Amino acid sequence: MTESSTKQIAFKVQRYDPEQGDAPHWQQFAVPSSRGMTVLEGLIYIKENLDSTLAFRTSCRMGICGSCGMLINNYPHLACHTQIEEFHSNTLTVRPLPNLSIIKDLVVDLTPMFNNHKSIKPYILRQDAQEMENPTAEFAQIPQELNDFLQFAYCIKCGICVAACPTSASDRLFLGPQALAQCYRYCADGRDEGQQERFSLVDTDHGIWRCHLAGACSEACPKGVDPALAIQLLKRRLASQALGLRKKQQPSSVVSPPAETKPKIPFPEFTVKGSE
Amino acid sequence: MRATRFHLLHMITGVLIAVLLGIHMVRLHLDSILDWFGVDTTDSTSWESMIARASEGIWAALYIALLAVALYHALYGLRGIILELTPSVKAGRIITWSFIMIGIGAFGWGTYVPLHLLSS
Repeated sequence: MTESSTKQIAFKVQRYDPEQGDAPHWQQFAVPSSRGMTVLEGLIYIKENLDSTLAFRTSCRMGICGSCGMLINNYPHLACHTQIEEFHSNTLTVRPLPNLSIIKDLVVDLTPMFNNHKSIKPYILRQDAQEMENPTAEFAQIPQELNDFLQFAYCIKCGICVAACPTSASDRLFLGPQALAQCYRYCADGRDEGQQERFSLVDTDHGIWRCHLAGACSEACPKGVDPALAIQLLKRRLASQALGLRKKQQPSSVVSPPAETKPKIPFPEFTVKGSE
Repeated sequence: MRATRFHLLHMITGVLIAVLLGIHMVRLHLDSILDWFGVDTTDSTSWESMIARASEGIWAALYIALLAVALYHALYGLRGIILELTPSVKAGRIITWSFIMIGIGAFGWGTYVPLHLLSS
């Protein structure tokens, strides 16, 4: 970092340690920032140089693992996916994600979200258990069928949609946008036969009909997943079934894997020959 | 599919309220339109006129239907709001049954006048 390209950014970070018994409070750090620097890099700078007791989650640093979700300037973001200069401000406030209980500082307890995710059975359910346990072939799926749910499969379970959801803020029994969107993702999968099983899990007093389509989840999602759309599509499936308008889908058939074929373009010869 | 059916009914009653309340509003307040159709709207907001209307079978049925759909729509919506603010399975059960009792009570009370006028 050269002197000319850096400027000091004030990081106002919410600190909270339940074991110490203190109430959540703010602590300010001066962080030298340069072009392209992310909020996560700022937090790593604080941890390495200013205060090693600061707690936050991080892993991949490239928006894949979903560990570093936090409230930056009062909006949920992935810290690794958010550059400091995006805010055009010399002050940044960093807080833990709302609607989830705090473990320490910026680390929240994602257990309720993962429990909701697990409750909707986020895996392929088939009637032919024998084939599932001991597969002999592949389940057929054409690219158009894949496109029906592909964008919802990009969910990284960061919890940002849950933090943005106004219903999750008031109703702690609400399944949340993450679980409901994943419910649709698996119901829309042509290989799956577990729709009825999942419908009974989301068709409850605190299930899918508590979503008011605020759309905050879709707006906040750092991966461009549209949970609000998935929830609407799932509502349509439920309503169609309740009105008797839905035809029963045939699950995809089991097909043999494609036979090995020769590559169309021959593999290029090595330009550097080994010594013979 | 219980919650889905109740929610669909909530949406259908919303549309029915617009239709039934629309008929009521047109009959009472849009005299010029009804005059154009040749309907006698003399003094349609007076007490006597209202009692006379309620004594007719079709109007009594319309008002009873409006009461039923409005009560369902309002109480189901309110129940949803309260369920969100008091997220507990036990509280949810108490709230649901309280609203069912309030709904039945209000419907019985509200239908008493048109039924009484019809039978007299």
